[in-house]
Amino acid sequence: MKNFSLLSVLMIAVFGFMTSCSSSSDDCHECHIAYMNAAGAEVEVEIGEFCGDELADVETPGYAHTIDETIVGNDTVPAGTYTDIHCEEHADHD
Amino acid sequence: MNLKSLFKTLIFTVLIVCCYSVTAQNSGLVQDSENQPIENVSVFIADQSILLKTNKLGEFFFDGKLPDNTYLNFYKNGYVSKLVKYKEGIEFVVFLKKLHVALDEVGVVESYSDLGNTKLTNIDKKSLENVFLRDNSMVESITQLSGVDIVSSGLGIQKVVVRGLSGMRVVTYLNGMQINNQQWANDHGIGFTDLGLGEVELIKGSSALKYGSEAIGGLLFFKDSPFTSNKKMNGYIASKFDNSSFLSSSQFGLNWKKNNFFFNLYGQYSISSDYRLPNNDYLFNSRFNQNAIKFSIAYRHKNLQNIFRYQYHYENPGIPAHAHVDPANIKIEDITSSSFDFNDAYKLLTPYQLVNNQLFNYNLNYLSNNLKLSLHLGHFINNLKEHEKWTRPAFNLTISNTQITPNIRYKIKDLTFNLGSQLSVLDNKNNEDERLVPDASTLNVGPYVILDYEKNNFGFNSGIRYDCKHLKSEDNISNVNYDNEFSNTSFSSGIYYKFLDNILRFTYSGSYRAPHFSELFSNGVHHGTNRFEVGNENLDIEYADQFELKYQWANEHFGFVINPFLQNISDFISIVPSDTFIDSYRVYNYKQYNNVEIKGVEMNLHYHPHQLHNLHIEQSYTFLQTKNKDDQYGLALVPANSVRTKILFDLNDYERLVKYKFDYLSFYHVYKFSQEDFAEYEELTESYSLINFQMGLKLRDKLLCTIGINNLLNKEYTPHTSRIRGVAGGVPNPGRSFNINLKYEF
Repeated sequence: MKNFSLLSVLMIAVFGFMTSCSSSSDDCHECHIAYMNAAGAEVEVEIGEFCGDELADVETPGYAHTIDETIVGNDTVPAGTYTDIHCEEHADHD
Repeated sequence: MNLKSLFKTLIFTVLIVCCYSVTAQNSGLVQDSENQPIENVSVFIADQSILLKTNKLGEFFFDGKLPDNTYLNFYKNGYVSKLVKYKEGIEFVVFLKKLHVALDEVGVVESYSDLGNTKLTNIDKKSLENVFLRDNSMVESITQLSGVDIVSSGLGIQKVVVRGLSGMRVVTYLNGMQINNQQWANDHGIGFTDLGLGEVELIKGSSALKYGSEAIGGLLFFKDSPFTSNKKMNGYIASKFDNSSFLSSSQFGLNWKKNNFFFNLYGQYSISSDYRLPNNDYLFNSRFNQNAIKFSIAYRHKNLQNIFRYQYHYENPGIPAHAHVDPANIKIEDITSSSFDFNDAYKLLTPYQLVNNQLFNYNLNYLSNNLKLSLHLGHFINNLKEHEKWTRPAFNLTISNTQITPNIRYKIKDLTFNLGSQLSVLDNKNNEDERLVPDASTLNVGPYVILDYEKNNFGFNSGIRYDCKHLKSEDNISNVNYDNEFSNTSFSSGIYYKFLDNILRFTYSGSYRAPHFSELFSNGVHHGTNRFEVGNENLDIEYADQFELKYQWANEHFGFVINPFLQNISDFISIVPSDTFIDSYRVYNYKQYNNVEIKGVEMNLHYHPHQLHNLHIEQSYTFLQTKNKDDQYGLALVPANSVRTKILFDLNDYERLVKYKFDYLSFYHVYKFSQEDFAEYEELTESYSLINFQMGLKLRDKLLCTIGINNLLNKEYTPHTSRIRGVAGGVPNPGRSFNINLKYEF
């Protein structure tokens, strides 16, 4: 009987730890255009935060985002319509 | 004779019979060479997977009768293990010889093996019982065997390389069931942890006849810990922590027995953040989490035994070093973080995998004196989602694999026959329209017969297997319509001779591998490898032949094993880069090379100074050479040659140290030579040395602790077989890290 009580407690504990840590992620994510510069390196152009259905739309193949004005900086990103859009995070290096 | 005296006589007779049955038929005795009883010897009833322990008087007891010729494996640390065939009616006393050289992991001593007769077949074994306490991971622990290496990117994604071959060529079995979990790709890990496992057996090369022809590189056979015959529930709880990735992992295990029922139950939960490099940066998205639960139930009645096992494994490994450009062109700063924030450290990030594995196993064994009938039924379901985007996976695949394996083992004097067949039905299904590999199914039937002969100091074995594999794919989305059959014969033969302390074994084997549907039909971006992969429907069977010699010698203080081999593989299937790019990913195509040669030598040394019996020095050497006779480049992911040294200093002989709870000290050193033989898309890898240190503490009788430092010198190194060797010039493995592990047994 003692054994089975111990077993019950353990089973509850197991169920607890298997269900307590959810792996689901936040629903909102920052997205960016992945622009390839002349050197073949990726330049990120932030296009804002998207949630729920909007996020699903942005991640749908064929989704296009338009930059109205050329962005001038370390890398110049010309105005135009871009389809290579990602909503993943990148490493943060000082 | 009056009624009273008749009754007394009857009682006396019953008592005599009972006593006889207890002492002569249901028990045994284990003694050393001086006739002293040995306590706490493990007595493993191999055919029933039941473990007994001897008491203070060296006695062990088992329920019911054992059939003649049942294998019993006796082992205890410090003694030569022994494999004994049970004979009814003979006083069952087993003598174990003291041994300071513990060579069980290199196959010098006798032990039972599921893969075949350990004398006649070259089988390596490794105990996994204390992996959680003493090693970083199960796969890293296996790499301590010579000829074995690892493809990995941190602890989250790890898989085994055997003699330079990996992926589809190294077949993995878990309790008799083949694990098919999209193992064709290096970013898909082994699919389970050390939870509840007792041992792994390994056959290197193509001699694994009974468990399939396709194991050209080798076969790993993982086995659960045995059932215990202790009526009182026992078990353990264990926890580990490593500061490299702030890994936290916990396990529990329970074993008990009630009447003829045996139960085992285990659970695990692990969570890890990104690992720290030697320069204190963190490899972005090398994080992972894992949950697992498993149980086994056995029921034994007379000569019949039923075992049912269930296992659920869930994991979320992040895919580190991900890029949208050619991986060789990115900078290490782009894929590493210079800071660490606990708030986000364990958060799931894209790209990641979501893996669900469920394994059902059922074994039915019937045992009689010379006969063992067994039936294994297994069903494995693997669901793999690879997310590059949050809202939908890049691919979502479910593999469902059913396997039926009947086997008859029959003994006639010194001959043992194994006759059986393996039937396997596999279905690969896409759950999304976007796909890298198409829907496909295979049906494989493989009857086999194996003959073992063993008498005195000589033995031989010979076996043949015929496989017929039907592969079909009808996928309108991938535009694939394929129906083909691959069939061929595999064989293995070996002889064994023992002279005094010398053992010599020679094996010749041949096997083949049919192309996998990923090699035939892949077409798309594989984010886990940063490649655009294109299959080739014209691929055909690849064939392997292997010669192997193993010489072993051991005395009380020194053991030595040398194992040269030569393998020839024709029509070798490989993936090679092209000059074409699609969506900024380089295109890789599958092709076949006419001939590939793999040769090498593996050696093991084990030494105990006579003056210091508690000092163990083990050294293993692996020298491997591969040659692609059709190409100027070598094969991909071939591990560099290595020398591994382990020094274990047992402190239990020193009362003063025992008083302070010290148990042992261990140093592990690996020297990897430079790898100058590499594939077209690889580059030279420099040599390096790595040192790990560990201290074992026995805090209480049943409370064990280990404190360790990995990569003691904080060496910056990238193994040639690292999954991310080709990214940013090579992403280093973890830097110096500290770990503490605890295990409480009850």
